[in-house]
Formats: sequence, structure tokens, C-alpha cells
Amino acid sequence: MELKPDFNRFLAAVHHRETDRVPLGEVLIDYSIQGRFLGRDVGAEDWASQVEFWSKAGYDYLPVTVSMMSPGKVTEESKITRVLKERVLRERPGTTDPKAWNLEFTSFIHERPDLERFPWDAAADIDLSSLKAVGKLLPEGMKAIAVSGKIFTLTWMLMGFNNFALKLVLEESLVAEVFERVAAIQLKALERIFGMDHVAGVWAVDDLAFGTGPMISPVALRKHVFPWYKKVADLCHDQNRIFLMHSDGDIITLMEDLIALGVDVIQPIDPSCMDMAKVKRQYGHRICMVGNVSNELLRSGTTGEIAARVKALLRDVAPGGGFALGSGNSVPNWARFENYMAMRDTCLKHGTYPITI
Amino acid sequence: MTDPMDVIKNAVIAGKHSDIKALVQKALEAGLDPNAIINDALIAAMDVVGKDFGSGKIFVPEMLVSAVTMKNGLELVKPLLVGDQAHSRGTVIMATVKGDLHDIGKNLVSMMLEGAGFKVIDLGVDLSVEKLLDKVEEIKPEILGLSALLTTTMPEMKRAIEVLEAKGIRENLKVMVGGAPVDRVFAEKIGADGYGANAVEAVQLARRFIGDKA
Repeated sequence: MELKPDFNRFLAAVHHRETDRVPLGEVLIDYSIQGRFLGRDVGAEDWASQVEFWSKAGYDYLPVTVSMMSPGKVTEESKITRVLKERVLRERPGTTDPKAWNLEFTSFIHERPDLERFPWDAAADIDLSSLKAVGKLLPEGMKAIAVSGKIFTLTWMLMGFNNFALKLVLEESLVAEVFERVAAIQLKALERIFGMDHVAGVWAVDDLAFGTGPMISPVALRKHVFPWYKKVADLCHDQNRIFLMHSDGDIITLMEDLIALGVDVIQPIDPSCMDMAKVKRQYGHRICMVGNVSNELLRSGTTGEIAARVKALLRDVAPGGGFALGSGNSVPNWARFENYMAMRDTCLKHGTYPITI
Repeated sequence: MTDPMDVIKNAVIAGKHSDIKALVQKALEAGLDPNAIINDALIAAMDVVGKDFGSGKIFVPEMLVSAVTMKNGLELVKPLLVGDQAHSRGTVIMATVKGDLHDIGKNLVSMMLEGAGFKVIDLGVDLSVEKLLDKVEEIKPEILGLSALLTTTMPEMKRAIEVLEAKGIRENLKVMVGGAPVDRVFAEKIGADGYGANAVEAVQLARRFIGDKA
């Protein structure tokens, strides 16, 4: 069966309407999975193959990561990593250990002078060429979604988590300024992104919570993070675009805030700590949800277990729209390909509206 | 008159990091026992902080500031301890296993263990079983804490325990494991001595390991 992408299908779900079928939704699928599906290698720069995968596999959009933390592996090859590497090599020529500039191992803004010394202008020079180029490759009906707008994560990574957490209490103004600088870059990029007609929205991948709850207090998030998200949401809606959010962890105490500030789609409703059916019952009429087949199940489960989980989600969560089916995080290279296919195939087979499972 | 021990305890709970040294100094000048200041004020305060964190009343930043406050106070009192009192509650080696770079949870556990009076040696992230083994043999800790955030790196915990057993150094070493994908069933399956769902549970576990009833 040839599947035709139709972004209106996804939009209908966002607006809580049933269409022909439940849309599929992911923010990232590893290239190895895409390659297995197409029967050939797929790489980061091979946009034609990526478009072919996402449309043939049944998705209505192509997610394209464009931010300081792209392209490539976030803390190894991305824009921000290159900027930091240049700075380290300028200050300490001859440094060879990548840990010196990899944000997984080090951080750069500890005290106020570090804020001023940070190469903000270089970091702000975000390359949008890939996002622009895919416009010509998208088949009719398909849109691109810009994966961008990481504000919370990038701020604490630049500061180092412990230092960030301490400064949030001990020197709040410094943390607020880092948030402001990071957010300003992201917002400026969005203005350029929305100049492209084929871009239908922005997907902010910004983990806010652990499995036990928010990483910082909801009060602090309301003060330092959510006002920036609101600006992103307002910008999206002013430009007739949608705002999608990804966060790991238990975000139940943040749901009201996320809905109020204007998030249209929340993904993935972390299955390790949240119950999708329960969350849908509680908030599903006010926000669209994408998810949430457990990644652990994708790695270690059987195709039968995957099919059962997908059917349960379709039965409990899909009626009335406001839902797209996908993984419980993203589809990584360690997911079993057969399980990914079982997730997709079961949704395509049993996700026709009205749901009759 | 307010009890100086309560004042110190409340200062740690409230994270008054810049006031704590003066408060502890005052208590010492008033003749209070250094060991009592540590156990009944500083560590007791961290018990409250841990419970508040576990119940969602406070979050990581507030907990860390309390831990820093506690350490500031401890620095002043520790040199005054003599004999057996000067010993820590025990030594804990902490590490995130090979292939895993995540350290937020591990760092929290480390800070909370220090707050509870343990000596913590944090070996960092992405630690191979071989390096871990070397350090355990060298330091001979009472407890080893292993962390993993990825389901793909969890088997490294099992491997570490197997190697420790093969080397015959498992008997006097308690191993606790934690991290988002880890649970009690997994911990039992791989032969760990315990599992902590969060930093508070990890501290409770470490205390049980050393026979602390607190």
C-alpha cells in the first residue's frame, strides 16, 4: 500500500479531529532504521533518502534539526560544539582531548565573566541551509517541522548541571541572563525559520523532568523557562505554525503550564513514569499527545508485545483525535527494526478511524 | 532561648550557606560537642532535606544548596574530631558505567552521601569495569554505587559484579545500583545488594549497609 503524506491529517489530530487514520509521530528516527526500511544506507546529509523514508513510512512531515545543538551528534559535532572547540583551541592551543569542548564532560559558564566571554555571536550563527534545501524535496502534502528551541537543556549544559542548580538559588540573576541569551538566539532563528513556507511548526526537544518529577521547581520553571516558551508559542501561532514539545520524565505537574503557555503537541508522555491513557483523559481535550510505545519494549520486546501495546493505545487514546502514535522517546539505533515495523504496521492496520478495536 | 543545634539544623535545611560557619563557630564556643553538631544538627538536617526532596517539596537546586551549606559547616567541625569520631561513616565509590555519560543522578547521590557523613570517591562517567576493579582494589571501599541511564549500558553493571566476584573482592563490598531504567528486580537479578530509586533511597541503603539505624 502506497502511503501519501498529508500534513492536514497531522493537523487534524492536533486540533482533536478524527480523519482517515491515526497519524504516526516521531521527532527522531535513527538513520540505521531508515536505512533498513529503504534497503540502502541513509546518512545525515542524504535528505532525499530521509524525505523518501519519512513519506513512505507513513509520516506527514519531515523533522529537521536546526539549532545550536545540530547538525550531527549534539555534543560531538554540533554547531555549539564547533564554537566551543574553536574557543578552547584559541585559549589552549594543542588541546587534543575532545572532552575539553564536549558539553557532556565540561561546561563553560560558571561565573559572570564567563557569560561575557562566551562567543554568543558565533553560537547564534545557525545554519538553516538544510531546512531550506528540503523544501524542494518534499512531496505534495508533506511539510517540514524544525526541531529547534532547546532552552532549558542548553542553559544548564553551558553552566554544568550542579553549577546551574546552585546558581539558580545562589546567583539567580546569572542563570536568568544565560537563559535570556540562549532564548534570544533560538527566537531569532525561529523568525528566519518561519520565512520558509514548507515549515509547519517547531519541535522543542528540551527535557524538563526526571522520572520522579521536574528537574527544578515548577516555580523556577515558570520564572525562567516558560516565559521563553510562551514567546516561541506566540511566534508559532502568529505565523500560523504549531508548537510541539518533547520532554522526558514525569511532567504531570507541568501540564497545566505547558497547555496555558500554548504548547499544541506534547511528546512522548514518558512511558517509564506516566500513563498515557490517564494523561489523555485528564488533559487530552486541551493538548495533542504523541507517543508512547516504550523504547525498552522496542529494544527487548517481541513483535506481538509491540502490536498489543499499539492496539491498547489506539483503543484507549486515539478516539476523538488529539493523538499520534510513536515511540516513548525516539527510535534509536538499538531498537529492533522488526519492532519498529510492528509499531508502524499495527498503527496503519488498526488505526483507521473510527477505531474499532 | 533557641537551641543552637536547632539553629544550625534549620540553617542547613534553609540553605543558609553563608551563615552556617558563624553559627557552627558560635555553637563550638558555647562548648557543644563537635560530634553532636555533626550528627544531631548537620546530618540530621540533611535527613530532613532528603525527605523533603523525596516528597517533592524541594527540588535539586535547593537540595544542593543545603548540601553545600552542610559541607561548609562540616569543614569547621571535622578537624576537631578525635579518635574514632574522626572516621567517616564509610567509603563509597561512585561511578557511571561504561558507555554511559550521564551523571546528574550519580552526582546527586554523591552529594547526598557526603551530606550523610560518607566519604565519597566519584570516579566519573563512562567507567570501564577494569578501571573500576583497579580502584576498588586500591581504595577498598565499603560500598560501590553504579549508575546507568541507558538500557543499553545496564549490562555493564552485571559485568562489574561478575568481575568483582571472580576476583574474590565482592564479599566485603556492598554494591548498590540506580538510574532511570534500573529497578529492584534488575538489581536482584544481577546480584547487587540493593537498589535506590533516588538519592534519598540511596542514602538510606548505604546506611543500612553499614548497620546505621538512623
